Amino acid sequence: MVVVSASAEAPGARRAPVTAAQLHLTRRRFWNRAVWAGCVLALALVVTPVVWIVAGILAKALPHWHWGTLTTTSTANGGGLLNAVVGTFVIVGGVAVIGGAIGICGGIHLAEYTAEGKGGILRGASEVLSGVPSIVMGYVGYLALVVGLFKWGFSLAAALVVLSILVIPYITKSTEVAIRNVPTAYREGAEALGMRSGYALRKVVLRPALPGIATGVIVAMAIALGETAPLLYTAEWSNTLPKAQLTHSPVGYLTYPVYQVVNTTQPSVVQWAYSAALLLIVLVILLIVVARVIVSRTQRHAPERQHAAR
Amino acid sequence: MSTRRLPSALERTAGRAGRLRAGAVLSALAATALLLGACSSSSSTSSSSSTTGAATLQSLQSWPTSSVSLQETGSSLLYPLFNLWTAYTQKQWPNVQISTASTGSGTGISQAAASTVAIGASDAYLSTAQTTQYPGLLNVPLAISAQQVNYNVPGLTGHLKLDGKTLSAIYQGTITNWNDPAIAALNPGVTLPNLKIVTIHRSDSSGDTFLFTSFLSATDPTGWGKTGGIGYGTTVAWPPVAGAVAAQGNGGMVTACAANPGCVAYIGVSYIDQATAKGLGYAALENKSGNFELPTTDAVAAEAAGFATKTPANGAVSMIYGSDPNGYPIVNYEYAILQTSQPNSTTAQAVKAFLAWALDPSGGNSPAYLDQVHFVALPSTVTQISVDLLAKLH
Amino acid sequence: MTRTIVGTGGRGDSPLPPVLDADETDEPESAPAFIESDRFGAIAPEAPRPEELPPGSAASSAVFGPGGPRGPGGPEGPGGEGGPAVPAGEGARRGAWWRAERLMPRVMHGVAFIPLVALAFIVVALLIKALPAIRVNGFKFFTTSVWNQGNFYAPLTSTHGVPHPPGADYGALDLIVGTVESSFIALALAIPIGVGTALIVVEKLPQRLSNGVGFFLEVLAGIPSVIFGLWGYLTFGPWLSHHLAPIANRIPDVPVLRFFRGPTGGGQGLLTTSLILTLMILPILAATTRDLLRQVPRPTVEGAVALGMTDSESMRTVTLRWIRSGVIGASVLGLGRALGETMAVAMVSGVILGRTAPTIWSSMNTIAAAIVTQLDAAFTDASGFAVRTLAELAIVLFAITLVANIGARMLVRKVSGTALPVGRGV
Repeated sequence: MVVVSASAEAPGARRAPVTAAQLHLTRRRFWNRAVWAGCVLALALVVTPVVWIVAGILAKALPHWHWGTLTTTSTANGGGLLNAVVGTFVIVGGVAVIGGAIGICGGIHLAEYTAEGKGGILRGASEVLSGVPSIVMGYVGYLALVVGLFKWGFSLAAALVVLSILVIPYITKSTEVAIRNVPTAYREGAEALGMRSGYALRKVVLRPALPGIATGVIVAMAIALGETAPLLYTAEWSNTLPKAQLTHSPVGYLTYPVYQVVNTTQPSVVQWAYSAALLLIVLVILLIVVARVIVSRTQRHAPERQHAAR
Repeated sequence: MSTRRLPSALERTAGRAGRLRAGAVLSALAATALLLGACSSSSSTSSSSSTTGAATLQSLQSWPTSSVSLQETGSSLLYPLFNLWTAYTQKQWPNVQISTASTGSGTGISQAAASTVAIGASDAYLSTAQTTQYPGLLNVPLAISAQQVNYNVPGLTGHLKLDGKTLSAIYQGTITNWNDPAIAALNPGVTLPNLKIVTIHRSDSSGDTFLFTSFLSATDPTGWGKTGGIGYGTTVAWPPVAGAVAAQGNGGMVTACAANPGCVAYIGVSYIDQATAKGLGYAALENKSGNFELPTTDAVAAEAAGFATKTPANGAVSMIYGSDPNGYPIVNYEYAILQTSQPNSTTAQAVKAFLAWALDPSGGNSPAYLDQVHFVALPSTVTQISVDLLAKLH
Repeated sequence: MTRTIVGTGGRGDSPLPPVLDADETDEPESAPAFIESDRFGAIAPEAPRPEELPPGSAASSAVFGPGGPRGPGGPEGPGGEGGPAVPAGEGARRGAWWRAERLMPRVMHGVAFIPLVALAFIVVALLIKALPAIRVNGFKFFTTSVWNQGNFYAPLTSTHGVPHPPGADYGALDLIVGTVESSFIALALAIPIGVGTALIVVEKLPQRLSNGVGFFLEVLAGIPSVIFGLWGYLTFGPWLSHHLAPIANRIPDVPVLRFFRGPTGGGQGLLTTSLILTLMILPILAATTRDLLRQVPRPTVEGAVALGMTDSESMRTVTLRWIRSGVIGASVLGLGRALGETMAVAMVSGVILGRTAPTIWSSMNTIAAAIVTQLDAAFTDASGFAVRTLAELAIVLFAITLVANIGARMLVRKVSGTALPVGRGV
């Protein structure tokens, strides 16, 4: 590579013929600018669609928005979204509890009882499970839970089981990472104080790991919020509020109305779909903000976690 | 026709039946006779008689007083009418809640078969394999509907004349342009533009596909309908045609046809207003007598009239390409697919009450509802067939 | 959010001691998880416990062992096992409560294995359903493009003892091709865009703006798949077909360019699908590359700059080489997500069956979208054969995404995504 001397700084100012070194520099500068321009373009290509999608949904949903959407249930031609909102809350909450419980146990098991990188079958199963497409899970869930073995029919139970299995690998991974991130010094201090292992686990290790675990549960909730395919075949749809019945009672959820745009022409149904999309985006952004708040709180209180500001 | 099977033990005939509009008046008279002749129509909660002969439209309409929740899913062709019905019944009998969904006739059949929904809606009757696999499954005619062929050819006024053989060639890809001589021959004097045909078919399991492919099989028995050929069904293996588009549901078909200039699509008659509003035209189809008919209620009723007496006791009959000289060739019964054995007796009672109301010429089968979706009422003989089938529910 | 912990080469020159750098979890293998350590038993001033297992044995065997320690005295909770014993008298005083205390970790470990059970169930269920179809469909399932459920209105026949409607014929070549081509186009577009975004975010943008871009990436990752489908079906697809129609209609009918020829149709097709998939896998690539770039050691980069390289040259020769394997790993993860993507593809691809897409504007189909749109149709087949064929398709999809994910794991030791769903095939 040619080392260019300082005298080649302003080629335009010189009246002597341009040297190869200067040409080389110009070309290098050009490529440098081109690459940075490309990166700026890339950034624009990331930001623009997000703005387009969110703004588009806001523009189409807000003008016709009325708060009655949140207080009335759906009808055949659209209507309200109360049943969908309540159904989504019930499903997401249920997944957070069930998937959270199982996933956290799995994470603790992997973090505390297995060496890193090993852990064999459970870790492998968790990773494979995280790659199973959700439609495959929905398919098996339909065959096994809805019409097959268990014959629960379209039900909240089937939806919760399938979605929980879907999100467990994420919670397990977050929990394991969070627990492993707790510095050994904490554990050594607990040992030095004579704490018993169970007590130390709960009081010393899990406490600082909680934000990471909570973030993992929030990821799981966001995934459950956005799922449609498995829900289509486990919870189907209901125009009424969810009953206190775990089986044989379909449940509504916010992603279903959005899917209905493809087989309707009625403007009221399209409007209904956009309202549901609006609610979904609001909930997703809410979850993101909550997760960020959790992380920033913990970073403020745990100085040894701060890394270089790049 | 080579594709029609001879009657099986389950009495499916090869004939087709329908009912004249005048027949609607007759059926109204018959219904009045039923009303007068029936026992007092008290809305008691006593369940109807379980012997087939004694069940009547009125005796079935005893609504339960406890809270019942029913699921309906299936045909997008029946969906608008079903919503009109449930809008009324949920006001009158708010304790019976009915959730509807437009998912395609195939889903209606399969969900009813799996007992995950109470009522499956379908434009297609059950196949032998389905009735063998699910012996308790019934198809109960509810109303008479039709299907039109829409197209998006800007600049055309009036209605193009098309026949089954031409449509079969279009959907097989042998006719690719609107100004093809075959289409011009059917439409003398019409200037057809040089526009590529974009064929649109249903991506989901659809009763409309069943009707359209039955029509193609009937009109093109040596091509589409030959043994081992493409045949008919709620799903078929559509021949790969360049530029073909698939859409979901009748609503999706309307949207897709409007978005693709040059399109041809088969859409149910309950969506004809929406299609016309989007600028789509609909064709006059050639019937068996050689006349080109539009899907007016008269033509539909004329076609159905010929099949009123040919409808078997299980309700399954194809009314495609019938022999009435003024009949529209693509006409069908809309079916409710039901399991004979319902989860509990209250659900059975609610299903019977709702569907009996829907069958009632002063209830769901009155012009007030049917006209909105361009359907035709059932003839009284067929209404009785449906009543007898409904009475089997428990 | 969970940090990226990437095993790229040459981490050893990080100046920070391991315990303070929370990003590095390279605690030496010999450092035992504290519960495994038997030092508890040694330190705690309790009576010796004859049943105590020898040091180094996994705590799980201590937990599951029949003898079991007599239980600690702390409040209940997970992991309360394997520790030093409470004197027998103290334990006995607490009675049933510490029996529950001993039970808790066993329950916890049992519960931890639920995912394994679920995965085994899924695999077994799929195989049981699919094996007859695999036998009947044979090898031509992968070499032909046809989806014929057969004639339902004729009596069932059977092949190799498996009942099916006459004329049933399934070939998934168009689905496999559609899946692979849309995913690879998406990946080819997402890699430069993702890496470019990450470069700008890390190198040029101030902290606040880079946090803002991080927020955008998380929103992009979190937007549900159906909303991408809604946008693609109603807005983006028609926009593309409308605005690119003038170009597409002018492309000549020559061998390679033919693939890009119009008419552009209504907006549902291969191009729209690929672009939507690009958007869905962008967050994985951009966020992972950003985290990778933050871990590139500064001295090496500074050395390149000291030699007089321009930014782009130092990026090309130093930075990108450093993060290469991490980017490849993230790409494969993104590929895994794109392959399994269901709802958005079902809404924008046109879900046509029976042929591969002849042009970039044509409708196409992928395996996942075919499963979701054909499942109900499959149930109308009373013989159950169509459902079995869908199970076979599900296995094919499972296998493809498994290969992609295992490839990712092997290429990168640990890549954890950003806080929001990445790597999820919805």
